[in-house]
Amino acid sequence: MNLGISALEYIKEIKNESFTVEEFISATFEQIKKYDDKLHAYLSVNDSAIQQAKTLDKKIKNKEKIGMCYGMPISIKDNICVKGGKTTCASKMLENFIAPYDATVVSKLNKEDAILTGKVNLDEFAMGLTTEFSAYGPTKNPWNQDYVPGGSSGGSAASVSAFECIASLGSDTGGSVRNPASFCSVVGFKPTYGLISRYGLISYANSIEQIGPLTRTVEDTAFLLNIMSGIDPNDDTTIDNKNENYLKDIDAGIEGKNIGIIKEMVGHGTQDSVVSATNDAIKKFEKLGAKIQEISLDMVDYSVASYYTITATEAGSNLARYDNLRYGYEFPLEGYEFKSYISKARKNFGPEVTRRMIVGGFVPSAGFAGKYFLKALKVKKKLTDEINDAFNKVDFLIAPTVPILPFKIGEKIDDPVSLFLVDFNTVTANLTGKPAISIPFALSNNLPIGIQLIANSMQDKSLLQAAYALQNEVTLPEVPL
Amino acid sequence: MVTREEIEKVSKLMRIELDDHLVHIDRVQKMIEYFDVLDKAGIESDEFDVHEKPVSELRDDKHVPYDEKLIDKLKNYKGSYVRAPKMV
Repeated sequence: MNLGISALEYIKEIKNESFTVEEFISATFEQIKKYDDKLHAYLSVNDSAIQQAKTLDKKIKNKEKIGMCYGMPISIKDNICVKGGKTTCASKMLENFIAPYDATVVSKLNKEDAILTGKVNLDEFAMGLTTEFSAYGPTKNPWNQDYVPGGSSGGSAASVSAFECIASLGSDTGGSVRNPASFCSVVGFKPTYGLISRYGLISYANSIEQIGPLTRTVEDTAFLLNIMSGIDPNDDTTIDNKNENYLKDIDAGIEGKNIGIIKEMVGHGTQDSVVSATNDAIKKFEKLGAKIQEISLDMVDYSVASYYTITATEAGSNLARYDNLRYGYEFPLEGYEFKSYISKARKNFGPEVTRRMIVGGFVPSAGFAGKYFLKALKVKKKLTDEINDAFNKVDFLIAPTVPILPFKIGEKIDDPVSLFLVDFNTVTANLTGKPAISIPFALSNNLPIGIQLIANSMQDKSLLQAAYALQNEVTLPEVPL
Repeated sequence: MVTREEIEKVSKLMRIELDDHLVHIDRVQKMIEYFDVLDKAGIESDEFDVHEKPVSELRDDKHVPYDEKLIDKLKNYKGSYVRAPKMV
């Protein structure tokens, strides 16, 4: 059975009775069994998936109404709550936390009869971009297991890339969907801020993070966006998309559209092979009838510092709730001085989370807020003004998703600033709330390169149309598992 | 330039035990030093956005029944109370 088919192909094959849901789900779990010992994409698997598949097959046989996912296997990043199962955030702090409710995105997928294969790995509390900071060990890149899969949604990207599911949900705070999508050669999409509900996503940096899909094709992303987008009374930041159909007219093309190359993102610090791939993508867009120009966003040079200042501040606040009283590890009952108890509880955070909590306490603190946090907010505002001005001139912005190729596990883990700069091209979309997508585009030394497109707020549909146009110009080899 | 002492002071205020986290201070210092690039952005006189939402746009403040007994899911729940560590 070909497990490498897209979500839309899967639905077609199920409708054609080429295989049953149970056959496909069983084969998917065989794949997980065969490869995941090495890849370590999954933290836990759904033991009732086969039973769910059998139930759906019966419904299909009896011509009963069935949801539009037809039992397609989807993995979920382990910082998104699925009722009754563990949601660990890849942290020892939440090792035994059983989610008491479904995230809105999970409810919507369940309603459409998706089958959740399990929970996938991430950097602890989504803080990282290599999946090396998981308390349960790193995920490996299916394209070369010595290399990182990107992060923080590295388990999501690896599971889609290695055919251990058809699609996955990740979360993107500074590139955490697009970066691993680029490193593992799958599509990764961060929607406009507010387009997808975050109810049930364990908070890291609320003002900029979003849930987003990782898929094999751009059409699959549009399909999942149709299911997951829209207003949620449980998330006050959600916006009304008027039930937009993102799949309709996805082949509208890009002729006559204007694309801006972000000058700051294709220059100093970008590897030659990545620059070359970006230039090839630009040529393809020109061939398809798009007009290309260069755009400068001065504030991009300060975006990474602004991003880490803001996210660490919000993380310092969000993670203060983990006091080990409601969940966490067992404690002896001897008397504690209050401060030492909290300190003891916080020892359960891993090294990167601990560091970011310290940073998050420092940058907004009295005496330092003016130097760091307030400046970071000002950069965010000015960057937003600059990108809004840019969208008066162009329809889309283009840049490599990540300025460098995937790197070896352990290569950058001890150098925080070097890791910061891997986020250089992705944080702009988060700070400004714009939709952005990474499209698999090329390979260099058999390592994937993704191309990023950014659009103006609520232009998610036209962004997917542009991404589809580029996708159709590219043929890549299958992952060498 | 941020000193180790300044970082250690904030860590203490955040109740993160430095005895166990000294190894992190150097890296935290490197991270914060990188943020000094913000000084070059030339945005001192700029404003920043404050997102405001009037109360009228918030959802209604009404009780929504929740069927699950969440209290049962607390660790160390003993039927009528939650056992917590003794703190002085």
